[in-house]
Amino acid sequence: MEERSRIVLLAVAVRIAIAPFFMHAGDVGTIYESSIMTLKGLNIYDFVYARTMQIQNATGLPVFFEGYAYHPLLIYFFVPFYWLFTLIAGPGPVMIDGHYPAVPLLIYPWTPLMLLMLKVPIILADAFVVYLLAGIDARKAQIYAFCPYVIFISAVWGMFDALVAVFLLASYLVSSRTNLLSGVFYGLSLMKLYTAVLLPLYIYRLFGKWRALTEFLAGLAFTLLPVFYFLAASPNSIWNVLVTFQGARLMGGVNLYNFIWVVQDLTFDLIVSMIPNIILVAALIWLIPKLSRSAPLLESMLTVMLVYFLLGKVMNEQFLVAIFPLMLLCRECDHRLWIFPFTFVFLRSPFYYFALPILWASPVFYSYYLEADVVWRDLQAAGYLQMPMYAVGVAFSLAILWNLLRVLETTPAGTIMGSDAFGSFSQSPILSTARKIRSLLSRFGISRVRYASYASDPQRSMTSQR
Amino acid sequence: MKLKSKLTAFMAVYIIALSFVPFVHDTLLAQERWIGYGIGAYQYLNQHYFVLFNEPYDGSSKPHIQVNPDFAPAARISLLEFSDWTSWVNDHNLFNEFNATARTGQRALDITYSRPEIVLHKFIEVSQDAVKVTFTSEKEFGAHVEVWRWVMTSINGLSIRDVPNPLVIQPTNRIDFTFEDERLQSTGRGSIIMSSVPSQLKIWPHEKGFNRITIDFVNSEMSFMVSGSMEAVGTPAPPWSYTLLPYVLPVIAIFVVALYLLVDKYGRTFKNRALGSSG
Repeated sequence: MEERSRIVLLAVAVRIAIAPFFMHAGDVGTIYESSIMTLKGLNIYDFVYARTMQIQNATGLPVFFEGYAYHPLLIYFFVPFYWLFTLIAGPGPVMIDGHYPAVPLLIYPWTPLMLLMLKVPIILADAFVVYLLAGIDARKAQIYAFCPYVIFISAVWGMFDALVAVFLLASYLVSSRTNLLSGVFYGLSLMKLYTAVLLPLYIYRLFGKWRALTEFLAGLAFTLLPVFYFLAASPNSIWNVLVTFQGARLMGGVNLYNFIWVVQDLTFDLIVSMIPNIILVAALIWLIPKLSRSAPLLESMLTVMLVYFLLGKVMNEQFLVAIFPLMLLCRECDHRLWIFPFTFVFLRSPFYYFALPILWASPVFYSYYLEADVVWRDLQAAGYLQMPMYAVGVAFSLAILWNLLRVLETTPAGTIMGSDAFGSFSQSPILSTARKIRSLLSRFGISRVRYASYASDPQRSMTSQR
Repeated sequence: MKLKSKLTAFMAVYIIALSFVPFVHDTLLAQERWIGYGIGAYQYLNQHYFVLFNEPYDGSSKPHIQVNPDFAPAARISLLEFSDWTSWVNDHNLFNEFNATARTGQRALDITYSRPEIVLHKFIEVSQDAVKVTFTSEKEFGAHVEVWRWVMTSINGLSIRDVPNPLVIQPTNRIDFTFEDERLQSTGRGSIIMSSVPSQLKIWPHEKGFNRITIDFVNSEMSFMVSGSMEAVGTPAPPWSYTLLPYVLPVIAIFVVALYLLVDKYGRTFKNRALGSSG
């Protein structure tokens, strides 16, 4: 068997072996519940919006129900597998409730099968990533295939950032050949809305190349058709769920902003949560024009995503999966960055929370769960967990900064790293002199003079896009 | 200064500056007002009391009144907890059978409990001296209210030795109780003063003391003025508490940032030495 197929099959086997026995109840519950509603032809955004209105009425606070708040296309990746599951197990409930703060009631023996079926799209996405990476570098494919963090997020947690990862990777890989497909894949990567920060970069790079830009936007618009449909069918619901909720979300996660979880004042927290938005927008407005249109796309994409992860207000544990394949392709990035969000997972959620499908299978295991939960809640109430969570969040932000600075050095934006800050590379007097010297030397047949201030070769990317 | 140094300096300052946000909020903004947080809980803090009103999914702590001892202001010692889970109005459970909504007023937290036949308000007002919980409706109603504490060592002079079984006590509009806190090595006193004498008062023993008082009354309004204090008996060690986190986070931020700067500066030097590079 060829190496590429062997790695893919092993990656799939490992995930299938784990998938039926673990889950993040809240996130898997959302997909399960949304699959049921979609099969029944119900509007998932109307459901989430109604629950939000209910909570806001009960509390008088700007609290949102955390249900399905993703691109409408996402659920159609899961629905066929849920439908297959119902052919075997019937339409009866298998997971009852599970939205925070409740824990779900699980029905056996169907729970493991349901978990496996709902994780199949995620496992397939991982398999495609491994396949694509293996075509470039088998070693990098192995890293993605067997990285404990990636396996945990996909097969244990049941979170679908691997879908974002595969479409983002595909968008990057095909961008040099077809802008239409690149646009389609980019549009599909918007299943989690954080990749929206890349849109200005794509548009900036294609600006002036009108045909290429039109093709890209056509591809993107095609994937947005379901959004337009829901905007026409129930504008209030989808706007509230996708824009108001995501836009007015409380900051925090594996980042420097999770101190806000200590401040128990929702109105104040929401106001403070605007700070990262302002800083992020300012950073992107400054940065994107600095990333030259001819700069390698990989490094440019990573720069923008790393800036978002560094300064953006929400950085959930699983987000890094989305750019993990791109990081593996970039020489300047240190992929061991995953250690931080992986550590954070176990500080934020108790390890046994992911094992509910096992613990719920027996009254004896359930009693162990209750005992462990008392200890965990005591640690949480005393604030012992918030301290390492904050430390890991800050450390992760700084590790992102370190990677960002390294990636920046390979881009034209980074060529000013060695000169005065915020100065334009092309306007630098030193470089201008260097250009004159090069021009002079070239007349004498000496054509290759390196820019002294280039920190590194901008074409170092393994799969640079020209 | 190089751009890299500028970006690093900006991030260091940004991280450390933001780490003071909880401290600033705690010191300047968190006092003496009802604050909503989480998924719908409310809290009120002043020099003497911390009052929690739990989120809509939880019938306990409606409200939970805690005392901040003068000798350990960061400690919050449970004084009394009203439970909607175990309270009834007109034979309907307050948590399960009423539609409840919470709103903050100028001074009070106003919880409206509604059913087709009755609308009832629970107002919670906090002052430096006491916490006042008022049940009021335009109609007369019959209520069974339960208040909890784990545990009260005595109630109106009765101890666990005097009352081995649940006991209906003489109706009165004042209940005095005592309790102990092992962690602070101190004793506490609490009192509940009701606006009128209830029809029945019952106390419930549990292991080392009493864990609840049930109060039955029929009226269109009833208020409970709850107050309490703590006295240090021994010499308690300064306790660690969640409330100290705002003071600790800046220290963590400074430590992690300093570590990063050190590694960034010297880490490469060591690596370069090891690799024999001068760059």
